[in-house]
This record gives sequence, structure tokens and C-alpha cells, in this order.
Amino acid sequence: MKLLEGLKVVVLADRLVDFGGVMLARMGAEVVLAGACEMTAPRKAAWHHGMTPSKAPLAELLADADVLLEDRRSEDWPDLKGVTLPETLVHVVATGYPEETPQRPATDLTLMAQSGLMHVIGTAEAPPLRLPGEQAYALTGIQVATAALMGLRARRLTGKGQRTPLSALQSATLSNYREAVMYEWTGRIGRRVGNRLVRGSSGVRQVWPCSDGFVTWSMIDNPGMMRALVRVMVEQGAAGELAEVDWGAILVADTDQEVIDRWQGIVAKFFARHDRATLAGWSLEHGWGLSAITKLSEVPESPQMKARGIFPDGGTLPTGPLFAVHPAKGGAA
Amino acid sequence: MSGALDGLKIADFSWVGAGPRATKDLADNGALVVKIESAKRLDLGRMSPPFARGERKNHDASAFFAQTNTSKKSVTINLSDPRGIEVAKKLVAWADVVVENFGPGFMDRIGLSWEVLQEVKPDIILASVSVAGKTGPMAGFRGYGNAAAAMSGHADMTGWPGSEPHMPPLAYGDVVAPMMLTVAILSALEHRDRTGKGCHVDVSQIEAMVHVAGDLFAEMPADKPANHDPLIAPHGVFPVAGEDAWIAIACEARGSAEALASELGLDEISDEAIAAATRLRDGEDLAQALCDAGVAAAMVLDGKGVSESADLEAASHFVIVDHPVLGRAHMPAPPYQLPLTPWHVGPAPCLGEHNREIFVDTLGMAAEDLAALQEEGVLA
Repeated sequence: MKLLEGLKVVVLADRLVDFGGVMLARMGAEVVLAGACEMTAPRKAAWHHGMTPSKAPLAELLADADVLLEDRRSEDWPDLKGVTLPETLVHVVATGYPEETPQRPATDLTLMAQSGLMHVIGTAEAPPLRLPGEQAYALTGIQVATAALMGLRARRLTGKGQRTPLSALQSATLSNYREAVMYEWTGRIGRRVGNRLVRGSSGVRQVWPCSDGFVTWSMIDNPGMMRALVRVMVEQGAAGELAEVDWGAILVADTDQEVIDRWQGIVAKFFARHDRATLAGWSLEHGWGLSAITKLSEVPESPQMKARGIFPDGGTLPTGPLFAVHPAKGGAA
Repeated sequence: MSGALDGLKIADFSWVGAGPRATKDLADNGALVVKIESAKRLDLGRMSPPFARGERKNHDASAFFAQTNTSKKSVTINLSDPRGIEVAKKLVAWADVVVENFGPGFMDRIGLSWEVLQEVKPDIILASVSVAGKTGPMAGFRGYGNAAAAMSGHADMTGWPGSEPHMPPLAYGDVVAPMMLTVAILSALEHRDRTGKGCHVDVSQIEAMVHVAGDLFAEMPADKPANHDPLIAPHGVFPVAGEDAWIAIACEARGSAEALASELGLDEISDEAIAAATRLRDGEDLAQALCDAGVAAAMVLDGKGVSESADLEAASHFVIVDHPVLGRAHMPAPPYQLPLTPWHVGPAPCLGEHNREIFVDTLGMAAEDLAALQEEGVLA
């Protein structure tokens, strides 16, 4: 079931609008790639999938287009000069920095640097890290698709298209829901704390080795979850002093770090003896809130990904649906 | 002028982060979003710091909640009471879109399944967001955004090469999935406008995180790429003068590596040589000089830097909104401008602030019935 069948989109891509074009194509729009910057073959496969390249004159392509996604990360598109845009065209113009400010060179890395996220990713001893992949470009692409769809809704109200400027800097910054607001209201500045989850005066681990990889779990103030974990540890003869703790009567966040470290040592030994599938199975059954950490190469093989068709044809490219669409009663529309 | 979504009506059952961030997008753009919540099952967002004046017991004092729920209306319905469900159905009948992010099976258990919603309103759009989606072997999985990071390959690929997986102190799945949900809702509306039919859009946090890492799946690196890029060099983060102060540099444009070497006075370019030179420089001045020379460069901003960014201020990225408890507070705005149909960011609602407006004025409930149902804890 394709939601955007019948929609025609023209894309001039320079990394900021690429994923937006892919998203519209993935939902059934006819998306023509009328210009694109240089990139590696794998990135082309990822960020241009579903778009149809065309060398036809822009005026011709735009004559019956609903949407134009114009990327101005680096420079203007000379072919666009002199082209009269249809009054009904939804025209999204993406820049690295907001249009109101001087334009400067911008890449995924420098945009993420300004989002506030990198400053809290990694460890205190090493430089800030970015999230894996090209997240600033991807986040901007999602906002490009959003702006295009907003423009289409607006067109139904006004009968007109409109030029919609959008900045990658703001798109990347929107992903940071925590650091600016925490600073404004508390004066606190987030730091890189590795895999520790800091609560109150103490910190707990988030990542644990097990017999075939890693799992993520944290000793947080959730007495039911702690009791559920310890119950299985007792059954397995691995609970030690944890069996004696009254989890409803203590606050982990207020417990001495030395004690937490000792308790975590017992949990670490228990996790190390079991594999991800066993631990994740127990978690699902008993409500531990634990997740197995899946290696990137294992993701396409996940039964859930297969069931939802995210990696079609047994490939490793996620070119399946962005989300599932379940039709209304009476079958597919 | 009205917003792009003027006239659109949303019954928003979602809570915490993954649903409310999507409905914030809709509300800021003019949709009438009615947030259905309850003092008996408080939105955890209302209990999330930071709080105005440290008032953590005040349901309306969370700045986190305020930022996530701008421009919405709030009504209180106790969904564990069948009479509350009947009122909720009236909201469904009124709405174009129902949004939810409850745990698996919750909507079915309370009598608001997809099938029931369609009986109430045949062309309704149901928009759901969950960790793994509503179908497949993990459909029953309960969890938050961190679980999505673990199962999408993000945790595996975050960190330095050779290190254990890294879980940053943010739930990226709670960011990306609602953005995908906004797109899903708008697309479903486009479809309904063309066909007259509703549908159920079902967003998975894991899948959203997989899709935004498409380049990684295409490249399938053997180890974590950290700050490196397969095409661009130099490409990294380097120290500058000051405590925990860093600059990001990416020599993408032709000639920019030479321009970097010239600015730093280097004969030979290596990450070590760059770091040795940059650590002596003022970061802001260096970023400006490099940008002037055609090199992409920017300071790594912390929360203070984001809050005080001149670029973001010039774009009105944070707008000042008057809130009855928080006072004049900064709220994030959409990253785009729609000049003919501009967005407007209004305050987040206090708990149940719009009960009378929605139940009586919009749904036509008698004022005395509202009072009675409030007294009996049904609309509370």
C-alpha cells in the first residue's frame, strides 16, 4: 500500500535533501533525481535508492511536478536560473545554516558538532564522537520530507505552493532534546561519561559483556525489575548477596558507589555465563528491561526485520517500507 | 494567517517522548491536538526534569514536558474506567487522526483497538509508534528508545574502533521515530484526501533507526567508523584552547586540505599534527578562519553553546513562549518556514486545562455531566 502514489517530485541533491527524496519515493511518489553531488557507490545505493535519474531540462521536469527539493548546501543550481516555477509547486530549499545567517561550508560532521549531541557522546578522556553514519544529513532529510508534506497540506488550504526554506543546522539540533534545556534550567552542562548512566550521586553500567557479545541493562530504581532479575539469579545459583537486598527499601541512586560496584560485579559474572539469546529471553519473560546488542551485520538477518520486510530480497540495504501501513476495513486502498 | 494543518483534528493518546514529539510538530503547524492524559496515570514526561523552581511535584512544572508538548490542549480521561472510554470514543469520532504509543495490546485491552476505532469513525487514521512495530515476532516487545539503539546496530557502531558498544546518554530512537511518525501521519492524510480511506500507520523505533543508518548498512564497516569518513580527509574532531573545547573539521571541498595546512602552518597533514596545532588556537577564531578559507569547520557545542548559538537565535530556533508555570521560556520551533501558512509555537497545556473547552464546547457534553464525571474520577 503506497500512500503517495500520484505525487511527482523533482530532486536537486547535495546531501541535505537526498534522504527526503528517498523517503517520498519509498512511500510511492514518482521521484526524479535531476542533479546530485559526487558520493561513494554505497552511499548512492543508500541515499538515492528509488529515485530515477534524469537529464531532462528542469523546466520540463517541473512543469507538472508537485514538489521540488532543492539542496543548497554548497552552491546554487545554474540550471534552475530562469526557470519559471509553477505557482502550485511546493518548493523546499535546504541550506546548511539558516537562510538568515551567512552560509559557510557544512558537512554532516560539522553540523552534528553544533547540535550539542557530540559533546556528550564518548568518554571524557577522548574527543567527542558523532553518532554512527550520516545522522545530520538523515535528520535533515526527514525534515525535508516533513516540510514537503506540510506544503502539500497547505496547498489544499490555499491553492498555492510556497517556497519553504529549511536549515540542516536546526534539523540536527532538534534531535537534541536534553542539553540546551538542562543548561537553561539548571546551569548544568552534560559531559561524556562513557557507558555509565549517572543518577543522583552514583553511576551504573549500561553495557555488559556476555558469552557471545554484549547486552544493555542498567541497575535502576525499579524494584519489580530488580526482584525479577534476582529471582532468576537465585535459581541459577548466582545471586550472592543480591538475594538479601530489599529492593523496595533502597534507592540505587542514593547508594554508595562502592556498594553498587560490588553488586554490579555479581551481575557481571552472571551475565558473562550466558549468551544474548538466553538473557534476552529471560528479560522478555520476567521483565528485566534488558536488550541484546545486535551487531550491525546481524540486523538484516533478524526475524523481526524479515517479518517486516525491511531488507528486501535478502540484501543488506534497508530499502523496505519506512513504516508499516495496515489498510482500513475493506482491503487495500 | 493560519498554519499548514489548520482544521486538522488529532486525538493524542501518546505520552513521554516518542509520540508527543510527533504531535508537537502537528500542533505547532496549526492542527488542533487534544492530549488525552490522566492524573491517575500521569504522563512520565510531566515527572521528567528539569522543573521550574525545582517543583518536581507540580504536574505543570516540567520544562521537558513543556518542550515536547507545545501548542496542544490537554484533557483528562481515566482510561481504566469504561465511562472514560465512552468519552474517548467521542473524541475519536471528532478526530481525523488518533495517535498512541502505549505498550503492546493496551489499546485493544481498553476497547480502542484499530477495529473499534474504524467502527467509531470509518475513515480514521491510527498512528502508532512502538519499539519494534505492531507485527512480527517482536510485536509484544516492551521498551524505550535505548532498546532500539541496541537492536538497530547503532550501539554496535557507536564508539571508537575496537571498543565495546556505546550507549550515549540520549534515547536517539525517541527522536528519530517521532519524526518518522510525523511523516507517516502527513502521508496518511495525503492518501485519505485522495482516496477517502483511512489506514493504520505503524512506526517502529528500531526500523526508524535502521533507515537513518542506510549508509552504514550499504558500507557494512568491519569496525566502528567513529569520526572518520570513507571519502573525506582530514575529517575529525581536534582540541582547541580551553577546557573540553573541540573543533570539528572536514576537508571536503577540493583544495580544502591544503587550505587547512596553510591556516595551521603545517608542512604535512596528519591527525596528530593537526591536533598539535589546533590546541593552541581559539576555537571560534579558527572555525571562522577555516570557513573563510573554504574548509568546513565548527566548534563542538555543549548545552550552553546550543542555548546561546547566534545562528540558532537568528533563525528563531528557540522561540519565547509564555507558560503559566514556567513563565517566559524557550521552546524549540520547526526547522522550516512556511511563509503562506506560518507555524506558531504556543505553550504546553497544564494537566486537564482544556476539559471544559473540549468536552463541553467541542463535543457538546452538558456542563453538569462534565462536573459529575470529574467528581467521580472518570474525567480526571
